[in-house]
Amino acid sequence: MSAATIPSELGALAPRRRRRTPPSVYLAIAACVAVMAIMAAPLVFSFLASIESTTEASSAPHYLPHSFGLQNYLKVARYQAGLATYVGNSTLVALMTIVACVALAAPAGYGLARFSPYGKEIAFLILLAPMMIPYQALLTPLYLDFAKFGLVDSRIGLAIVHTILQLPFSVYLMRNAFESIPREIEEAAMIDGCSATRRLAYIFLPLAVPGLVTVALFAFINSWNEFLAALVFMNREFSFTVPILLVSVRTGDHGAVDWGALQASIVLSVIPCLVVYLALQRYYISGLLSGAVK
Amino acid sequence: MRAQRSRQLQGWLFIGPALLFVAIFVLFPLGQLALTSLTDRSLLGGGRFIGVENYLRIWRDSSFWRALAFTVQYTLVLTPILMGLGYALALLTFENTPLKRLTRTIVFVPVIIGLSSSSLLWFWLLDEQVGLFNKLLVDLHVLKEPIVWFISADLAFWAVVISITWKVVGFGLVLFVSGIQSINPDIIEAAIMDGASYWSRVRLIILPLTRRILLLTTLVSAIGSMLAFDQFYIMTSGAPRGQTFTAVYWIYQNSFVSFKLGYSSALSVVLTLVILILAALQITLTVRSEAA
Amino acid sequence: MNKRSTCAALAALLMGTAAFASSAFADNLTMWVRASGTNAAAHLVDLWNSTHPDKIELTTIPDTQMVTKLATGVQAKEVPDLVSFDLIYMPDFMKAGFLEDLTAELKADPNFASVAKAYVDIATYQGKIYGAGFTPDVSILVWNKDLFKQAGLDPEKPPLTIAEIHEDAKKIRALGPDIYGFYFSGACPGCNIFTTSPMMVAAGSKILPANGQDDALTGDGVKAVLEQFKEMWSEGLIPKSAQADSGANFASIFKTGKIGIQGTGGFLLSELKHDVPNMGFGVTFLPGVTEGQASSFVGGDVVAIPKGSKHLAVAKAFVAWELTDEAQLEGLAKNNILPSRPSLADNKYFAADPRVVVTAKAIGVGYVPWVYHFADMVNSDSSPWINMLQRAIFDGDVDGAIKEARQKMKDIASE
Repeated sequence: MSAATIPSELGALAPRRRRRTPPSVYLAIAACVAVMAIMAAPLVFSFLASIESTTEASSAPHYLPHSFGLQNYLKVARYQAGLATYVGNSTLVALMTIVACVALAAPAGYGLARFSPYGKEIAFLILLAPMMIPYQALLTPLYLDFAKFGLVDSRIGLAIVHTILQLPFSVYLMRNAFESIPREIEEAAMIDGCSATRRLAYIFLPLAVPGLVTVALFAFINSWNEFLAALVFMNREFSFTVPILLVSVRTGDHGAVDWGALQASIVLSVIPCLVVYLALQRYYISGLLSGAVK
Repeated sequence: MRAQRSRQLQGWLFIGPALLFVAIFVLFPLGQLALTSLTDRSLLGGGRFIGVENYLRIWRDSSFWRALAFTVQYTLVLTPILMGLGYALALLTFENTPLKRLTRTIVFVPVIIGLSSSSLLWFWLLDEQVGLFNKLLVDLHVLKEPIVWFISADLAFWAVVISITWKVVGFGLVLFVSGIQSINPDIIEAAIMDGASYWSRVRLIILPLTRRILLLTTLVSAIGSMLAFDQFYIMTSGAPRGQTFTAVYWIYQNSFVSFKLGYSSALSVVLTLVILILAALQITLTVRSEAA
Repeated sequence: MNKRSTCAALAALLMGTAAFASSAFADNLTMWVRASGTNAAAHLVDLWNSTHPDKIELTTIPDTQMVTKLATGVQAKEVPDLVSFDLIYMPDFMKAGFLEDLTAELKADPNFASVAKAYVDIATYQGKIYGAGFTPDVSILVWNKDLFKQAGLDPEKPPLTIAEIHEDAKKIRALGPDIYGFYFSGACPGCNIFTTSPMMVAAGSKILPANGQDDALTGDGVKAVLEQFKEMWSEGLIPKSAQADSGANFASIFKTGKIGIQGTGGFLLSELKHDVPNMGFGVTFLPGVTEGQASSFVGGDVVAIPKGSKHLAVAKAFVAWELTDEAQLEGLAKNNILPSRPSLADNKYFAADPRVVVTAKAIGVGYVPWVYHFADMVNSDSSPWINMLQRAIFDGDVDGAIKEARQKMKDIASE
């Protein structure tokens, strides 16, 4: 039996031995359906509310909408500088964050996993440290610093801040991914005279694709959804990102909550991330060892 | 020996860029924060050096300690729920059948929406006047009449716990699934052939072999809970009467509402130290138990 | 080249030069506005842009972040040319030196002389003026005429004292299990300073201390109003959900037609007319304890110029322009927004609906507190103001609540 395949029925006896499927399988199916229903319900209701008229969305609770209309989405799409601007900014910042995270975390993970420099643990802790600091507190000094270098109101500046938030987790993921690659492969490469950098580029990175993809996915999601730093660092409507739009559009005149716009904004904020997640799912669900060991 | 040393140096070269990044963009502003904590700087500018006066004030600040206690309570309640539920779901869905993959995707979707979006979503769901959660519970005869969730600190606490569990459980799920899937299937096969029951397989094989990811995910989740802010800001506004302030919320209040930048910097430093100590404790425990 | 193409080329060159010249001399200004004031501000800015070569680009900042952004912006020298924000922050910003001094221009402007006193006061610091009223709002009392009729009350006679509110609310509550006599957002400090404090002020109280030596919550008005609210709450005249409402339902609940009387803002009028045109409702001043006492909270946004604005001249021109008849009438009144000059209250746009005239006049009888750290004292989620309200009304301890709040407010004011 090949080590690369994972049997699909770990919880049941091998099909060869039994002819009827055991009740535990039905139980599992029922559990899955229940879980899906519970988890999806809030979003489904949100979607239903988003296609209602504005007034109905603010009225007494009801399951199904009576009025249909896309006013809420139109309101969000047309707000201030227009949805396209915000989406463009968010996408650019998210992509830059991904590049920065991968460029910094992959070598760092490699160094931590494969070499044993003195003080490796300390380096790891330093790299994880940003997670433990309330980042809201860091934003004010960072803003004043960035202002001196013209990084305020710039997407590069925001990408740097997002990278700060994502880097610890990215380093941890990459270190994990690299550590689970068997030593024999690396030793084989070393014997062949491959340099460390070459080994990283041609052997480790390809094998750690699931880890890289996970890093990219979380970097994208967290950058896309990040609100506070985006608001602090961007000064002009045309530089704003999607989360800022979503918060502003919910506030009606004088602080009233526009529930309909809120629902539309929730739905809109889910879609791009969902698309990215579904597109990348294949790469890291397929297991970490895709047939590498003979 | 020289090869060993040059290997070490190489290691540092790879780690270098990330370290440099953290040093410039995290440690440096952290230093600035620490310096500000020694002044009475206001958000509106100005301020003189006052030494450790801010820290002495923290010692007497009952609101901060109450907020910290609340945050710890929140962490101690939420983390086991998230980890337990996440792991149970991972055991349910780690196989790659289409149904289970679909389940995983759906459980993960809430992770994808922003924290402020999900907090507002639940805020809407739990609202006494327009919310569906209450209506559902009443229609299912679980409740007699809708609860006003945000009237008491306890109910508000559970409201937030429910909404965050919904949002974040998928995160643990994905990590635990990847951990379980990376177990060598031969080991499981062997256990099955030896006649091991499902639960003993879980207990004796799967759990121990995913121990590392379990412990580290717990740590990350706990730290995240200690730093919780957005969800409380949006859902409870600290109500009633500041009883649901978390530590970071209290820092926010001091910075941006009371304009006391110097004092809130000191609060941030203290909170960071608290978290560092807790994290160090947990890591030490992890390392020790791994060595055993 | 033949004659025709030369002409065409010259024409193109001339037009290009003209376009270039006008765009070379036209500026682009940036302006920050808070999210809840965006719609109103947009009317004025659009009107300006359509009639002036220099364009203003509006940026919406979520309400709760406006102060922070301006504060950090001034210190980092990253400021917009104009800014519009909640007027209660004026004292803090003026004291911190964030705003340009506009005294000379405004004092010389005849339009400024007829601006509501409340707006002038809030924008004055140590004798200098730093801003002007921009998109005003004011608090008023609304009552549901349909419910009044059903309850046997004269639909044209609003309650003139807080005690009358109580009596009328009782009668309306009797109409049905889901009909309530009164409403207020029990967890919303801002809503209450807007609608509840004027009743206290009308009854002779002063709410907030101007500095550490000043007193807070003076007079009997505070206690009188709190007592009435407490009784209305304990008699069940107010929906239970009010206790936890932090403002989300402040505007929407009156529209359901199930509330008899409520304090609200001028903004609600156009919403009511638009969303529930068949509902009969009336508008009056917020009353005090005896007939004839009335007040309101004069709120909304002011416009000011941050220090460091790069287009000072045009920015000042904008401030002057927005006070003109044209801007106030065509930009504000036409769009159902109150002008900051009460003398313009009787205008052709408001003539159709006397209720709007009442609202516009309310600016003239109203007050605005001049305090530092307003957010800390009032708007914050743990402020002494909201603590007092909740302790007095929901816990029933009126005296204790007032005493505690007085002390805390003084403490904050003396920081």
